[in-house]
Amino acid sequence: MAKKTEDVRRKLAITAKKLRIKAAELAVTAREKENVRRKLVVTAAKLHRKAKELAVTAREKENVRRKLVVTAAKLHRKAKELAVTAREKEDVRRKLVVTAKKLKVSRETLEKKILERTKDLDQSRVKCEAILASIGDGIVVADKEGKITYVNKTFEDMVGWKTKNVLGKYMVEVVPREDEKGEVVLLKERILSQVLSGERVIADVTQPFYYIRKNKSRFPASSIVTPILLSGEIIGIVETFRDITKEKNIDKAKTEFVSLASHQLRTPLTSIRWALASLKRDRLPDEQNYVVSGAHEAAAQMAATINKMLMISRIEMGGIDQKRTHVSLQTVIGKVVRLFDGDRERHALELAVECPRQLRARVDEQLLIEILSNLLNNAYNYTPKGGKVTIRAAQEDEMIRIDVTDTGYGIPQAEQGRIAEKFFRASNVASREEAGTGIGLYMVYNIARLIGGTISFVSEENKGTTFTLLFPS
Amino acid sequence: MRIEHKHVLIAEDDKFLAGVVGKFLSAQGLQVTIAHDGREAVEIMEKTLPHLLLLDILLPVLDGHGVLKILQGKKIDCPVIVMSNLSDKLVQKKCKDMQVKAYFVKSDLDEATLLPAIKKFLR
Repeated sequence: MAKKTEDVRRKLAITAKKLRIKAAELAVTAREKENVRRKLVVTAAKLHRKAKELAVTAREKENVRRKLVVTAAKLHRKAKELAVTAREKEDVRRKLVVTAKKLKVSRETLEKKILERTKDLDQSRVKCEAILASIGDGIVVADKEGKITYVNKTFEDMVGWKTKNVLGKYMVEVVPREDEKGEVVLLKERILSQVLSGERVIADVTQPFYYIRKNKSRFPASSIVTPILLSGEIIGIVETFRDITKEKNIDKAKTEFVSLASHQLRTPLTSIRWALASLKRDRLPDEQNYVVSGAHEAAAQMAATINKMLMISRIEMGGIDQKRTHVSLQTVIGKVVRLFDGDRERHALELAVECPRQLRARVDEQLLIEILSNLLNNAYNYTPKGGKVTIRAAQEDEMIRIDVTDTGYGIPQAEQGRIAEKFFRASNVASREEAGTGIGLYMVYNIARLIGGTISFVSEENKGTTFTLLFPS
Repeated sequence: MRIEHKHVLIAEDDKFLAGVVGKFLSAQGLQVTIAHDGREAVEIMEKTLPHLLLLDILLPVLDGHGVLKILQGKKIDCPVIVMSNLSDKLVQKKCKDMQVKAYFVKSDLDEATLLPAIKKFLR
């Protein structure tokens, strides 16, 4: 037992010893652990502080992060927008590139075309200038004030002034117009205003005037002055003129020929007339007297025809100078009536004259007599025996109207349009015994025009004709 | 006016016409002398002043204008009637300016017109 107890006790002692060692170890460990624990506490405190700091930092960082998120979102949106814009811009750019390419092409084409056109224009301008320069008529262009803006080569040659001397000057200063007698024509200003109001002013052989050259010599000219229209607006005038020395000489020769020819025709005619008149005086037997009277009348008619032809020649050459005076229509009609009283009696015609006594007009009496003589003579010649002729004169506003009415053969409807033609004779009278030349009415129409009047007529075959002269009183 | 024995000088180179007109005027009782050119007309007028001169314009030696000029220069006062076949207005005016009383175109003239004119202008 003891042994057992001893064993136990030893065992216990060993165990106790072991336990003490163990305890000592544990104590050391505990101390160490305490140290560790303390260190841990310190560390924990530190960590705690650190944690706290970190928490603060974290919050701040969280705030920043949130802000950053917002900013990022904004930026994202912005980026998206920019991306869209960029795409659009890219589109535009691409389009621009395409357009630019196209433009480049068109510009090149245009340049080419412009070059071609400019060449064309240059050519046509040069051509136009060459044409203007080569025109045989003098050309002068003036602006609305009448100042010269262009003259052609012929102008320079004709009047002796060079372009550089005349540009900007008035035509009337550079090249004065004068009439036959050498008096300066002051109508130039009037022509300008006439033309600027849209009229065309023509001065031809029938209204001759002279242009004076730089060297003071002169030449007869005819001219046409026309307004220059640009888009319906008158921007100036252009005058073309010609030297009509040749035409004037031809005219002069024609006048001389006509007057010589008429003189040569008249000379033998005068002898015939006077010889026949002398025979008539000798109280010849009836049969011979009939023949001589007929011949005498024919001679008188021939003299009248020569006068008519001379008159026509003068009218056609514009050589009639009118002498306007105040005349009594009754007096003039009386003179005309007396001229043809013999014819009226021979044709056994009745004549009625209706003319107010106070009726007057300012007109060339000889020309008026010429018109009325022809109308009355026609009425007598183309009205059968026993017929009636009426002369009616009256004032109509500013005009005088004279009607010569007959109950004669009339003018066939189909031929009425030809009545004013020279040498025309209506078919229904051409074969009758009445002598006629077909120049009387031609002359009447022309003289009427000369005195500023008109001739008209109404006619019915076999009923009669009324010729009407209308002219300014 | 009585025209018998009044003296009319006809200056006309057409002898036939001068004769016919002269015969007509003589038949009216006038005393008629005929000159066939202008010079002759002036010479006659210087010797015996007629009561009237019937003057043609186109005359040999001295034409009608020349005759008028000499008459004016020598102050020979005689009424003049021109009978010419020139109908030109300028010629007529030239004559009227030289104191010519009347101007007739011969081929248009007849006795019935000439006689009253002569009676009217006889000196």
